[in-house]
Amino acid sequence: MNSKPDKNQDPADPAEPPRWAARLLARWSQPDAREELQGDMLEMYAYWLESLGKPAADRKYALAALRLMRPFARPKRANDYSETYSFSAAMIQNYFKIAFRNLLKSKTFSAINVLGLALGMACSLMIMLWIRDELAVDAFHANKDQLYRIYMREHFSGKVQGVIWTPGPLAEELKKSVPEIEMSTPYSWTNQQTFSVGSKIHKQATNWASADFFKMFSYKLLQGTAEGALRDRGNIAISRTMANAFFGSPEAAIGKAIRYDNRKEMTVSAVFENIGANSSLQFDCLMTWDAYIDDNSWATHWSNTDPLTFFKLRKDADPAKVEAKMLHLLDKTNRDGSKPYKTQLAMQPFHEYYLNSNIKDAKMDGGRIEYVRLFSFVAVFILLIACINFMNLATARSSRRAKEVGVRKVVGAMRSMLAGQFMGEALLIAGLSAILAVLLVALLLPAFNSLTSKQMALPYSEPKFWGIIGGLLVATGLLAGSYPALFLSSLNPVRILKGALKFDSSSVWVRQGLVVFQFALSVILIVGMIIIYRQVGFVQTKNLGFDRENLVYFPIEGELFNKFDLLKTQLTQIPGIKQVSHMTATPASNGNGTDGITWPGSNPNEQVRFTPVGVGYDFTKTMNLKMADGRDFSKDYPTDSSGVILNETAIKVMGLKNPVGREINWGTSKVRIVGVLKDFHFVSLHSAIRPLIAYLGARQPQGSVVIRIQAGKTPETLAAIGQVCKKLNPNVPFSYAFTDQEYARQYQSEQIVGKLAGYFASLAIFISCLGLFGLAAFTAEQRTKEIGVRKVLGASVAGIVGLLSKDFLKLVVMAIILASPVAWYIMKQWLQGFAYQIDIEWWMFALAGVIAVLIAVFTISFQSIKAAMVNPVRSLRSE
Amino acid sequence: MKRAFLGELEEVVLLTVAVLAEEAYAVTVAQELDRKAGRAVGFSTVHTTLQRLEEKGYLSSEMGGATAERGGRRKRFFRVTAFGRKALREAKEAREALWNAMSPETLQLMGI
Repeated sequence: MNSKPDKNQDPADPAEPPRWAARLLARWSQPDAREELQGDMLEMYAYWLESLGKPAADRKYALAALRLMRPFARPKRANDYSETYSFSAAMIQNYFKIAFRNLLKSKTFSAINVLGLALGMACSLMIMLWIRDELAVDAFHANKDQLYRIYMREHFSGKVQGVIWTPGPLAEELKKSVPEIEMSTPYSWTNQQTFSVGSKIHKQATNWASADFFKMFSYKLLQGTAEGALRDRGNIAISRTMANAFFGSPEAAIGKAIRYDNRKEMTVSAVFENIGANSSLQFDCLMTWDAYIDDNSWATHWSNTDPLTFFKLRKDADPAKVEAKMLHLLDKTNRDGSKPYKTQLAMQPFHEYYLNSNIKDAKMDGGRIEYVRLFSFVAVFILLIACINFMNLATARSSRRAKEVGVRKVVGAMRSMLAGQFMGEALLIAGLSAILAVLLVALLLPAFNSLTSKQMALPYSEPKFWGIIGGLLVATGLLAGSYPALFLSSLNPVRILKGALKFDSSSVWVRQGLVVFQFALSVILIVGMIIIYRQVGFVQTKNLGFDRENLVYFPIEGELFNKFDLLKTQLTQIPGIKQVSHMTATPASNGNGTDGITWPGSNPNEQVRFTPVGVGYDFTKTMNLKMADGRDFSKDYPTDSSGVILNETAIKVMGLKNPVGREINWGTSKVRIVGVLKDFHFVSLHSAIRPLIAYLGARQPQGSVVIRIQAGKTPETLAAIGQVCKKLNPNVPFSYAFTDQEYARQYQSEQIVGKLAGYFASLAIFISCLGLFGLAAFTAEQRTKEIGVRKVLGASVAGIVGLLSKDFLKLVVMAIILASPVAWYIMKQWLQGFAYQIDIEWWMFALAGVIAVLIAVFTISFQSIKAAMVNPVRSLRSE
Repeated sequence: MKRAFLGELEEVVLLTVAVLAEEAYAVTVAQELDRKAGRAVGFSTVHTTLQRLEEKGYLSSEMGGATAERGGRRKRFFRVTAFGRKALREAKEAREALWNAMSPETLQLMGI
């Protein structure tokens, strides 16, 4: 039905009714009568024209058209034939039918598309789950937006250094000096302490905080109240697990006594729900800060730093103003004393710390957030690679669909309808892939969880989750379908239907560009994987300057403080033990710091922060450290109690020549250098070796007992150590650690990232290869005749394989060349996080390139050999 | 069935359709009314009346074949149904009964 104003009318009659009125009639008249009305009105117009003249006829026509408007009328009569428009049921049915037929007709390509997209989506989905989990840490506190933590900025000689540990009295002082601060608490560092009830003895992760703690943070209390939990210095709040372990249930625990460190009776004042993985603070029990001070009176001094400090702002407070107020809060405390530096306070929202825990230029900046960003990029990359597959295959195979496009266009399909059709097909495939992706994620999540040591689950019940899946589906469908839809719908029907479709150079160029892009991304991921693996391996095998194998340590606690000599005597009698000593901190990590060291010629304006360590006799032998100069501490020299041993870095920083025998000042006392140690790593390789000052702590052993054991006799030696400890220290369970394992734990996140990068790189390469496989199959198919003719004329199989592979290899090589500098730049950035880095060498790129080329060749050759082996008679038989 | 009431315009239009016999469609009816009855009835009124008559069952309609002179659009031809004929006859009879009931003196007096 022609619904436009009539233009095919008798050309001899130039007079036409007013166009707007005709249009009005065509659009708004009663649908059932629309056809005859328009005809009738034309006749009437002619009649009026003849009898009344044009102006009157126009007027009459317009008036009638207006009066014939029935904008709300519905058709009552069934039409003789239905109008077709692109969204009629019949057309939609047709679209689906064609889409499914196409899917089934070429199973390989459909499988490649669906599998590739599903893998890409599954990967993005997993990364999204991971990111969601990362972002959820510490976000559960009801007062989340009012909670902050303090960190300090120490300015000295033009430099500034950030410290997260704060003076103990700070929390109280904040409440007094800054009215906007409603609550505050110190929070020490969590360590294992021994608790006992009757004969039950357990070690529990213990911390100390002020009475405000449970009011500030939303840890769920099963028993007791937030106000009363930490009111009294004899109070202890324990977790559900701890309550179960000691008392059987949280209800039974409340009000009961529990013995701490075999010297203090504490009363259980509250039981809290076990702390989930979404909390950055982890502890089994909390005691009051007052109790902490009873044992550690030094923590009341402004000049010492120990706990973290958290505070809660009033709701109406302006954080910027508070920050300004607290900036110079420490000035009046005389904390810096005569020292030449100034300490300023700064604050960071509490929940941001987990992801932003690095201190760069005395600002909290970076940390895990970098991994979150990195993996977000990876997720997008991999999805992009899968989408590119889809685009490439769809456009390459468009010659198959071209005839359909031609016919549709001839019978009146508009470009937008065709674009819609192809977009819809892409969405259909994306939908199938999304279903597969969710299944895949559900299947792989346990493995992913154990890899990342998280407990993630698919949040099926959350509408947001389905929203995200829907969004992912639509985004992928639109992205993947955009180019094919635009390309296919742009084809000229006359050219398609007249002869074979010839791709113009621009579409070939786009396709090749996409392949290059895809492989470039894969190469970047491979290079990243190689470098991360190398760096993690380097860190783990690097010579630390001491022998970390077979080095066991356990904390000095309970009665061991007084019985160390006895312990040592008994331990050395065990056959598997070579050396026994002790040290403050642990062999795997020592992050202490001290400032007060001066020496003749030291610059009073340039403070050097030393790492102090109190060691026992035989420390260097136990650790297998080498002396660069001088000697170790020895019982033969009673003056060693005021002697120190420095490391080479310290000597270099101090600029001392012939250091042994020199006197230096430590605070107010004089100490004498008795020896110089060769440098060794006492913290992780993230940081450079710092100046070390070792003093003899034999009179009051603290920290850890360090034991060198014989290789190969570990189990029986450990059992023997356990027995000795149990005998000497019956109230504390024996727990030990291996230095190499503890050391490796410091690189846990790097190891996880390295593994993940490996998986993702493999996935990216796999998906890219799926696409390449499809393209190669398609090219081979298109060139069947050409190959047949070549073979008839005498071409060899090898020659044909080479011919078919060459085009693709060119693209892969180009991708490698483009990707290498980008990969170099990205990985250089990543390596900045380590003080000791591997060099990025050319062979890494070469290896990545070779891997990419080999995989590509393997993928292509499968198809090209198949094509080259075909008997030419078969391919040339029919024309 | 109760006798249907025919409005004056309806009656005229129905009559015109009967007059035009095979050639009755909206245009011819409108033009016939214009010419013969001398009534300036708007086209839209004619169209609406025809539709109403069809709805009431006095007329039936049917699409004609494609035409050359009106942009290829078909015409809707109307035909008086048996019910329509009955209605016309009844209207005529009712009127005649009234006329007949009038005395010749009255007629004379009124000058008719």
